[in-house]
This record gives sequence, structure tokens and C-alpha cells, in this order.
Amino acid sequence: MKTKWTWAAAAVAATSMMANAQAGTLEGVKSKGKLSCGVSTGLAGFSQKDEKGGWSGLDVDVCRAVAAAVLGDANKVTYKPLTAKERFTALQSGEIDMLSRNTTWTHTRDTSLGLNFAGTIYYDGAGFMVKKELGVKSATELDGANACIQAGTSTELAIADYFRENKMKYKAVTFDTSDQTRSGFESGRCDFLVSDQSQLYALRIGLKNPAASVVLPEVISKEPLGPVVRQGDDAWFNVVKWSVNAMIEGEYQGVTSANADGMRANGKPGQKRLLGSEGDLGNKLGLSDKWAYNIIKQVGNYSESFERNVGQGSPLKISRGLNAQWSDGGILYSPAMR
Amino acid sequence: MNVPQNQASTKKVAFFNNPANRAVIYQALLMVGLGYFFYTIISNTLANMEARGIKSGFDFLWGTAGFDILMSLIPYEPTDTYGRTFIVGMLNTVLVSSIGIVLSTVVGFVMGVAYFSHNWLIRKIATVYVETFRNIPLLLQVFFWYFAVLSALPSARQSLSLGEAIFLNVRGLYLPDAVGEPGSGVVYAAIAVAIAAIALLRRWAKRRQALTGKQFPLLYATLGLLLGLPLIAFLLMGMPFHWDYPALKGFNFQGGITIIPELMALALALTIYAGAFIAEAVRAGVQSVPHGQTEAARSLGMKEKQIMNLIVVPQAMRVITPVLNSEYQSLVKNSTLSTAIGYPDLFTVFVGTTLNQTGQAIEIVFMTMAVYFVFNMLISVAMNLFNKRVALVTK
Amino acid sequence: MNKLQTFTPSPARPAPENTVGPAVWLKNNLFSTPLDTVATLLLGYILLTILPGVIDWLFLSANWTGDSQDACVNDGACWVFVSAWSQQFFYGSYPTDELWRVNLSIAMLVVIIAASYQFEKGVREKIIIPLFLLLPVISIAILDGSYLGLERVSTDLWGGFSLNVLLAAASIIVAFPLGFIWALGRRSHMPFARSISIILIEFFRGVPVLALFFMGSVMLPLFFPEGTSVDKLVRVWIVLILFMAGYMAEVFRGGFNAIPQGQYEAADSLGLSYWQKTVLIILPQVIKVSMPNILATFVMLFKNTTFLLIIGIFEMLSTTQTALSNSRWLGGHAEEGYIFVAVVFWTVCFSMSMIATNIERKLNTDHQ
Repeated sequence: MKTKWTWAAAAVAATSMMANAQAGTLEGVKSKGKLSCGVSTGLAGFSQKDEKGGWSGLDVDVCRAVAAAVLGDANKVTYKPLTAKERFTALQSGEIDMLSRNTTWTHTRDTSLGLNFAGTIYYDGAGFMVKKELGVKSATELDGANACIQAGTSTELAIADYFRENKMKYKAVTFDTSDQTRSGFESGRCDFLVSDQSQLYALRIGLKNPAASVVLPEVISKEPLGPVVRQGDDAWFNVVKWSVNAMIEGEYQGVTSANADGMRANGKPGQKRLLGSEGDLGNKLGLSDKWAYNIIKQVGNYSESFERNVGQGSPLKISRGLNAQWSDGGILYSPAMR
Repeated sequence: MNVPQNQASTKKVAFFNNPANRAVIYQALLMVGLGYFFYTIISNTLANMEARGIKSGFDFLWGTAGFDILMSLIPYEPTDTYGRTFIVGMLNTVLVSSIGIVLSTVVGFVMGVAYFSHNWLIRKIATVYVETFRNIPLLLQVFFWYFAVLSALPSARQSLSLGEAIFLNVRGLYLPDAVGEPGSGVVYAAIAVAIAAIALLRRWAKRRQALTGKQFPLLYATLGLLLGLPLIAFLLMGMPFHWDYPALKGFNFQGGITIIPELMALALALTIYAGAFIAEAVRAGVQSVPHGQTEAARSLGMKEKQIMNLIVVPQAMRVITPVLNSEYQSLVKNSTLSTAIGYPDLFTVFVGTTLNQTGQAIEIVFMTMAVYFVFNMLISVAMNLFNKRVALVTK
Repeated sequence: MNKLQTFTPSPARPAPENTVGPAVWLKNNLFSTPLDTVATLLLGYILLTILPGVIDWLFLSANWTGDSQDACVNDGACWVFVSAWSQQFFYGSYPTDELWRVNLSIAMLVVIIAASYQFEKGVREKIIIPLFLLLPVISIAILDGSYLGLERVSTDLWGGFSLNVLLAAASIIVAFPLGFIWALGRRSHMPFARSISIILIEFFRGVPVLALFFMGSVMLPLFFPEGTSVDKLVRVWIVLILFMAGYMAEVFRGGFNAIPQGQYEAADSLGLSYWQKTVLIILPQVIKVSMPNILATFVMLFKNTTFLLIIGIFEMLSTTQTALSNSRWLGGHAEEGYIFVAVVFWTVCFSMSMIATNIERKLNTDHQ
């Protein structure tokens, strides 16, 4: 029967599209020659797609950094765009090797989902944006107002807590995507927009008249965003953790994609150790000596990535704030690279 | 059952060629196959859930929700349970579906009849309406009404108002609410009595018409009863109601009844989408009535209105009812698109936020599916009863 | 001396003035009664107030050329947004050099559908139908590429309008035999087979397709053995097939009911087996009478593929939303994007419903 043949063929096609999650993710990625990285379906500055289909953003740069460290080529990444709901399932089932999708590091997620957070790439927190014409100076004046919120985010809980704490009332108007949240705020459906600070700036730029809105000073929650890996695979956990640290340490040591070659040859001992011309840091991770050199050469140090994607070099123009090096008043601090 | 009738000839039929035996074997195979299939799925799921530390069971329903819901027909606070979010969402689904079903029927019938109008412009508008809205994905239409039309309304401070009682702005439609005082119960009772009286009156009028051919002005009697009885009770009890007018206080209008734009947009989109399909069915239904029927009625001296009510519509309904059944069902299912604009129905609240907070995908998705499934069954049963009444009685 | 009288026809009188001419047409069609006149004037006024502004925004003061947001200087629509993203809208991130594969797949689909009208019955049954049923597999092989020795293009790069078309087609083709089997099961005399069929059909018809999509994206991964992961697109495909099979089974049920009982009895009396009877006698007739409904169901499925936006598959509408969230295009081009998507879908769906109407008309004359 023809039907049976069709079914058999379809079954063959489907099974060959299955991928077995290897016990050792590091070996798996090396043998595939590609890193499968879960990102957001579209979030300005963090993971966004351009007209050519290329991906860019701070979250995307973490994927690229890990690919550079493991495979020596930052472009050997397969991006898997995921919605908020399916991100953890995708990681647990082995569909992706790592998740870099502006995911907040929380106690519950770290302990009960069988996952490990491999550091923080962006220290965020929920904040408010209001129209200037309301004359509101502080979030405590927002009693009885309408809030525009993106559905399914941890912000939804943070704002409920905040208003209860301050004995105020609000109405939550939820939207599916950040773009829709913005147009809801713009049309006057709500009085203020609440979102992670990083997104507030992106949303503000998208307004028809950005100058007519202000971001209020209050930050009502802690939202440290970072990459996530499966629990129980320490070798891979270390690779992702130290790839992030290499970007941060790179900035601290003053190594950039432009001067990495020179520093590798004749820099200070710390710089040489990072770039692999001294010591055997790469070897201990199961990687080549040039692992961090590849990261910084191809992706850039933390500062370069930040400015390019969300900072002064981008339309978002977010200032470093908490995300500056500890030596510059921020809280970015890489453990010692030795 | 096609059990062989000829006993004599079945003696030599091989065991496997006996249809009855084959049926048993096939079904046994099917049963084993399905059993194995479900066993694999269930054991895989259990193993996966254990390996990933996913909780199971329905205990989460008693946990504190902790998030706010935009609109609720029953009192709701963020400190209530996840179980209550389920009820709130379900009631909102019922609300938007009922509005959609009633309005789409009205729009569909008006537009379907407009197709036969003498006026060229009305005919063309009906055709363009049906062909446009039937062929554009509903999700786009929801976006259109919400993000293009309703968000273009003025802000709260520049509301469109009607006599300082009704306000329309980007945050919704604000209507005055009639608040009952002691004695208002009598008025509600009068409405109930009026409805009962109308039902009795209709039966009596129908029987009388069947026996004597005399018609009774039912429409006026119905209206008179429905308005008159409560009005008398209202006046007798000394007007036990007062109006609660909406008024701008602080950021928002307070008081009265608020119809949020999410509800308006979703109801509009569902109404207009389903209305286009119903209009098409009404057109086909009316066209299915042979022209001879209308001509015969006309030659009997019936008026145009009578021809429509007594001859054409009852026959057209046989074609229309099955379509209505399936359109109502898809309308209920399509109301899940609420999640795209944040109307807090079962899907948005329960599968959206609650699922995201608790992570108990299997329980939540199945509970939600069960609710929609039951709603659709209820519609199907109701429409089948209705269908029996309008079906052609062949003697 | 008989004089033959010549017959001189008197010239035909002109048609009465009140039956021809534009003025009469206007009177009959627009102003026949006072109520009509009021309706015409009112509707005409509404159209005249709305249309000029819309036309102006859409065409007259729109921006047509350029390749970035800065090119949009006029007040009207910014069609630059659509043209800059057009490849994404139609093909997703599929590599530019490999686009011929997507085009080839769509071309095959169109050719096979067109061919099924052209060829004679024998060819149609022996070649076209098997090809049609194998089409999803062939298309997947071409698009994926790794079986044919082409460069592998992983499914997360597939997207855009071509994904809407191919996913809908691939689903309905596989749902075709499956739905037919379910419909047969529903008519079967075996109680267990019948109840299973009814449960499957009613379940997949009675549940919102969005809930099924959620099942595909969040729950299905839990159903597979630990450590296996099935591609997301494949999971969605499975869900769409099952959903479609439920609807197709109902369409086929209607088709079965339209077949005269005599056809079954005639086939039985010829001594045909159950499967011979079903496949050779009944199936062709069922497909013929169900064709308009099959097309209508396909249009519904096709429109419903936009719902995939909710679970983050890059079909056309979701690509539009991604484009809207790109930091270089934050100027709020939602209207342009959505209008473009609406026009594309409308064109395809409208043509298909035209075809359905034509087939229906042809079927009606066949019976008379």
C-alpha cells in the first residue's frame, strides 16, 4: 500500500531528525562542530534577527563566545529561538546545548528544574516608564493606575508584590510581546509601563516621541540574567561559566579584539595567561590554549559586546550602571584567572 | 452486523475468512497496539518528570496566585489561589463567547439577507464584507481591531462622552450601573414573571393559529409584557434603583460598568469573522429555497414579510443550522486568541500566566482542553436539539 | 390584377424610458424607495469620508524606496520596511544561495496539484496520487538537504510565508489518509475501532488548535524517551496532522453519506473485498463529492498556521513581529507589516475559495 510507504518514509525522516543528548555536552558539541544555543524569538539588544537572518545581541554574544572557545569559530552556532514557556523544556530534553535567553537567575529555577546558572551576563531589575504629562516623579504616586506588562514574565509577580507592599492598587493590562506592550502604553491604554530596565530603554526608543516619556528611578526587583546549562555535566558547566568570565576579565585586563594579538605576544603576565601564551588554563577546561583569545578576538570583551549591542554604539544607549567593572563602581567581577 | 446468513455455506470457510473472527482479531491487535502506545507515553512522561524534578498532581490549585487579573466577573485579589484564576478565566471565556455568538448571529443574518437587497450599494458591501473577512487570518483581525482601531480612541482625559453618563476612551467603554436598593428584588421577580408569561402566551398563540388561523400580535405583546411588568413593579416599589455614574478620579474612571477594550476587540473580531461565515450560510440557505415557493406564497396573497417569516426562513434554516453549529464551536475555540491581546480568558490566565508560574504543563493543558471540549459538546447538543425542530418532517 | 401588398415593418419602438439607461439603473438599484435613498446616501457618505485618507496613506504619500528606516520621511506608509524584510517574510532565514530549494518545493506542490486536473484517470491514480502522498517526504528531503548530499539547512532557519504554505500542505497531505482511516473506523461495525475513532475525531475537533500547539511545544517533549529530542517543527507538524485528520474525517463522513447505498451493494455483489471496495469504488467518489469541503478545510488550516506565532515558530506573522522588535526598526511599522501579511493571505485564500466554488458548480452540473 502506498499509504504505508508514505508513513514509513515519514517515520524515517522524523527519527533521523531526532538528536540524542550526549552525556558529555562538550564532546557532543565538538563532534557535531556546531553549538546549539537557545535564544529569545526577538528582544531588542539581547537577541534580535536582522533582515539578512543573522542574529545579534548580548545574549547571542554569549552563544558566540562559547562557540569561539570550544570550536574556535564564533559563527558555528545554531540558534534555536524559544518562547518563555518552552525554554527550560528545550534545555532539559537536550534540544539545545545551552540557554542564553535573558533568563533571570532565581532560587527556584536553580534548585528545582535540574538546571545550573553559569554566571550573570546582565544585572537587571524591573522599573517603570511613565508619560511626562502625568507629572509623576516616583512610583509611589501611581496608586490606582493601569500598568502595561508583558505576559508570562517574572515582572508580573514583582509588580504585584510592590503594590501590595506599598498598599496601592493597580490594574494589570498584559500583552504578548514587547512591541505590543509599547503600543499599548503609547495609545494611553495604561498610565505606566513596567518591564526590565534593559527593555524599558529599548521600548522608549521605539515610541513616536521618546522625549515625552521618562523612566522612574525605582527599581523594584533583582533580575540577574545569565546563561543556563543542564545540571550534572560539570565539564560543560565550567566551559560556559569561564567563557562568560573571560569576557569580563578581558575588559578588566584591557584586552580588546583589536589588541588581542599584540597582548598575546607581549602583554603583562595576566594578559598572557588569559590569552593562552602562558599557563594552561584552556587545557584544564578541555579546550585549546587559544580559547579566551578566540572569544576576545572574534566576539570582543564584555565592554565591546555591551556597547555594540545595548550601549552607546546601539540605538538603545543604555549606560553601564551596575554592569560596570567592580573597579568602576559596578558589580561585574570575574574570579581570578589563574 | 454482516454475520453470514447462510449457515450451510459457512461451514467450510477458513477461520480467518470469517468476518466475525477477523473483527475480533483486528480489534485485539488495535487494542494491544494502542495499549502499548499509551503505556510507552505514560511511562516516558513519568520518567521524564521525575528526572527533571517536575511536580505533578493538582495541589498547585490551592497555591497563592500572586498576580493581578485585569477583569473578573467574581471578586478576585492577587492573594487568591490558582484554582480561582481557573474560574475567573473560564467565566471570562463564557462571557466573550456568548457575546460573540449572539452578535455574530445578528451580523450574519443581516449581512446574509443584505445580499438579496434591491440596493446595489448594500449588495456590494455585503459581498465585499464576506469575501474580505472570511479570507484573512483571524489573528490578524484581532490585531487590527485592538492595535489599529481601539487604540486610536482618545485618552482618558479627552473621553468621548454622551451626557456625562457614558464615556468611551482608549481604556474602554464606561456605562452607568443601576444599583438596586431594598425592594429591587420585586422588579427582578417581575422580569421573571414577564418571561414566563411570554413563553405561555407564545404557546397559546401558536396553538390558536394552528386551530383557527387567526394571528396574534406577538411582537407587541412580548415587548409590552417585558417592559410593562417590570416598569409597574418599579413604580410601585417607589423606584428602588439609583444610577452609579462613572467619573474620572485620579488616573481612571471609577464607578459604573467598565467594558475593557480587550473584550471589545476580541468580541468584535470574533463577531465579524464568524458573521462572515454565517452570512455566507444564510445566503446559501435562502438560495436553496426554490423560487416556486416564494411565487406560490405570493399568489396566495401573503405579504413579503410573511413570506420571509413563514415560508423562506423555516426552509432556509435547514441549511443554516448545521453551519451555525460548527461556527459557534469554532468561535469558542477561536476565543483562545485572547492570549495575543491579553484579554484575561481561560487561555490567557491559566495556560498563559498560571502555567508559566507553576510549570505544571500537563495538568493545566489538559484541564483547559477539557473545558473547551465540554463547551463544544454543550453547543453541539443544543444545536442538535434545535436542528431536530427545524428539520424537514417527512411523513 | 392582384396587387401584392408589400409588408413594410414599422420601426421598433424605443424601449420605454423607465427601463434602460444609467439613470434608471441608478433609480432601481440605489434610490428605489425613500429608505433605500437614505441608506445609499448614508453609506456613500461614510465611504467617501474614509476612503480618501486611506488611499492617501497607502499610496499617495507612502515611502517606497530606500533600505533603512531613515528613508521614511513622508507621512504615509513606510513600505521600505516591507521591502527590506521581504526575503525574511517569504523565506525566513533560509540561506540565500539555497532558496531554489524552497522554490522547487513550492513549484512541485503547484505542478502536482495542477497535473491532477490534466492527466487522464489511469495516470492520475498510478503516478500523481502516490507522488502527492510522497510530496511531504520529498520536500523535507530537499529542504533539509542532508539526505541528498546538499548542504544541511536546519529547521530553525526555515520560515516566512513559504513555511506557512509548506507546513499546511504537508499536514493536509498526511492527514488525508489518516483522516480517511478514522472516517472508515467511525463507520466500522467493530465497536472498539469505532469508539476509538470517535474519540480521536471528537477530541481533535473539539479542542482549540492553540491548546494543541501548546501540547506540541511544551508537553510532547515529555512523551519521548529521556534523552531524545524531536525537532520543534516536527512536533508542530505532528500536531497539525492530527488536528487536520479530525477535520478531514468529518469531511469524509459527509462524503460517505452522499454515496448511494447501491454502490456498496454493487461492489459487494461483484465479490470485491472490503479494501478493494473501499479504495477502488468508494474512495474516488468520496474525494470527488468532498472536494469543495476539502479545499475549505485547507483554507482554514492555512489561516490557522498564523497561530504558530504564539509558540514562536517563524512563520510569516511571527517574522513580522520579530522585525518589529529589531532595534534598527523601532519606529512602529506594525500597520505596514500587518497590512502586507493580510494582503498576501487574502490573495491566496480568496483564490482557493474561488476554485472551491468552481468545483462545486461543476459537481452540481454533473449530477443534473
